[in-house]
Amino acid sequence: MVKERIAFPSFSQEPIRLIDPEGCWVAPFSHGLSAQELRHFYRDMLAARLLDEKLVVLVRTGRTSFIAPHAGHEAAQVGIAHALRKGHDWLFPYYRDLGLVLAMGVPPVEIFGQTLGNAADPAKGRQMPSHPGSRPLNIFTVCSAIASHIPPATGAAISMKLRRTHQVAVCTFGDGATSEGDWHAGVNFAAVQRAPVVFVCENNRYAISVNISKQTASENIAVKAKAYGIPGYYVDGLDVLASYFVVQYVVERARAGEGPSLVELAVHRFGPHSSADDDTRYKSREELSAERQQDPILRYQRFLEREGLWDAQWANELRLEIAKELETALQEAQKAGEPDPLQMFDDVYAARPWHLEEQRRQVAEELEA
Amino acid sequence: MPIVTLVQAINMALDEELRRDERVMILGEDVGQRGGVFLATEGLQQKYGPDRVMDTPLSEAAILGAAVGLAAHGMRPVAEIQFADYVFPGIDQLFSQAAKLRYRSGGQFTAPMVVRMPSGGGVKGGHHHSQSPEAHFAHTPGLKVVVVSTPYDAKGLLKSAIRDDDPVVFMEPKRLYRAVKEEVPSDDYLIPIGKAALRREGRDITLVSYGGPMVETLKAAEEMAVAGVEAEVIDLRTVMPWDKETVLNSVAKTGRLLVVSEAPRTASVASEVAATVSEELFDQLLAPPLRVTGFDTPYPLAQDKLYMPTVTRILNAAKRLLDY
Repeated sequence: MVKERIAFPSFSQEPIRLIDPEGCWVAPFSHGLSAQELRHFYRDMLAARLLDEKLVVLVRTGRTSFIAPHAGHEAAQVGIAHALRKGHDWLFPYYRDLGLVLAMGVPPVEIFGQTLGNAADPAKGRQMPSHPGSRPLNIFTVCSAIASHIPPATGAAISMKLRRTHQVAVCTFGDGATSEGDWHAGVNFAAVQRAPVVFVCENNRYAISVNISKQTASENIAVKAKAYGIPGYYVDGLDVLASYFVVQYVVERARAGEGPSLVELAVHRFGPHSSADDDTRYKSREELSAERQQDPILRYQRFLEREGLWDAQWANELRLEIAKELETALQEAQKAGEPDPLQMFDDVYAARPWHLEEQRRQVAEELEA
Repeated sequence: MPIVTLVQAINMALDEELRRDERVMILGEDVGQRGGVFLATEGLQQKYGPDRVMDTPLSEAAILGAAVGLAAHGMRPVAEIQFADYVFPGIDQLFSQAAKLRYRSGGQFTAPMVVRMPSGGGVKGGHHHSQSPEAHFAHTPGLKVVVVSTPYDAKGLLKSAIRDDDPVVFMEPKRLYRAVKEEVPSDDYLIPIGKAALRREGRDITLVSYGGPMVETLKAAEEMAVAGVEAEVIDLRTVMPWDKETVLNSVAKTGRLLVVSEAPRTASVASEVAATVSEELFDQLLAPPLRVTGFDTPYPLAQDKLYMPTVTRILNAAKRLLDY
């Protein structure tokens, strides 16, 4: 097992890094991954980036109202996705996780359906874009309220422990979420119960416009774990294999009954907070340009080149293949059309009580008139 | 058949449901070893163990949020909030997560959980041990809200709430915990959520109430009977969804409606009942519907008795309706 082979230090001063910016493998162990597995990471990161670019186009051409770009988070998100047992473990994501849910296997047509808020959305167009969820994949539908999914992740993990399902709950969030009371409540309770849950912070150092220096006086996010009596891991989230190996290590640790962990994946946010945000008001173009120099996909490309697994022709073909897949999915989603307006009254309760029947009847009559 | 108090009936329901379904569990502050500050969970941890009757950190957000995750993952959690007044630190979990999970996921995920909480005044608790916040919950689509007033109902409704597929806020008027006693069968029975109880039949006036003030409402009806006025008394039991049919049938017969509640008046459950009756039975009413409620102040300590609906206040309002 990986766990026997690789143990990572908690509370390290420097971020845990396995691939350096030049693409060199710098870990004291061999990764043991096949060429196919290594290329799979690249494919998922590239797909995440292309999805992000496509969503930006959808917003700019007025075909959707909102997106929360995830460019810069790809290594972290793909690392997390590969560390879970898909369809077995549970994921509690937040709104900047479309690259993560894509890598988890959510069909692109569902992602576009959710983005368009139409009938291709398994959640029936109920929420803003960037709020995915999937029952078959155990992906707990995103809730806008920041950090409100932390205590539910803890609860699900307690259920996993009590019923010995050998599952793990993985819960992701941004740096701003760690200031919410519900974050504290959820992490604390999980630690007391030694519940099989892994808390992963995708720390891009900006909560909309508020810099991490105004968010917390802690030296980093990972050290917060100390106060809860659980290990915290400070990881270079621009390094897909570091993200993968550390998250996998703590996921399997949780599965083995050793309790929760906190992982901080240090990333950059290349875009604004959302399509409704103007990041030039608070982030200098020099800072952004320096961040873009550290593109996680480029770093991994250099690594693959050194492994003899990357060449321009292969990458171009892959890019075209993914772009075509996404375009096909988008077209399919666009064909789905508007959700039935009377679905507005469904899923409030398991069955419609009299007052919702009355209100539904009123709207039905208005629509017929 | 044992004669039990309301809090004992709650304990019976929890005990029976824990025994019946291994997915059922209890979580909250002091619910384990202590058996709850009102002893609603007395003896249950000893019987079912610390995993199924779980003492939690002092955090309503943790209790309610964990209940959401437990329920979504397949358990049937019964969360105890020590006093209704302390639900507010956990309200985002109740309003943003529990109430909307089914809706926001398009029915993919659900939160079948019960949130029990002692509510209401009359125990010299000041404003943070006396509130009746049911209107907040009733105003949040996705939640069902039950307020009990008798031991028999408490047991049957709590069992229904635990088996319900939606989140149910279950309010227990603390001043009735040991003040009312009646025979409660030890076998399994359910009382449906959303059905009111006709406590007394009459043709002259309809009194609608629920929870704590049911006591004063029934006393007022008895006094009216002595004076020759036959009041029909309805105990709503569920305030969301409330039993409109039973209320309209009664008011169609009597032509007069008085709603009694100890919650603040403005934007209250009492207002909702009065407004609906006005809309639907306007031309059959003999007088405008009236409300006897708590006042729009924080719950006061020194003026406790003045704040609560009294028999006299109910009788005076009834007289206004009858003399109209």
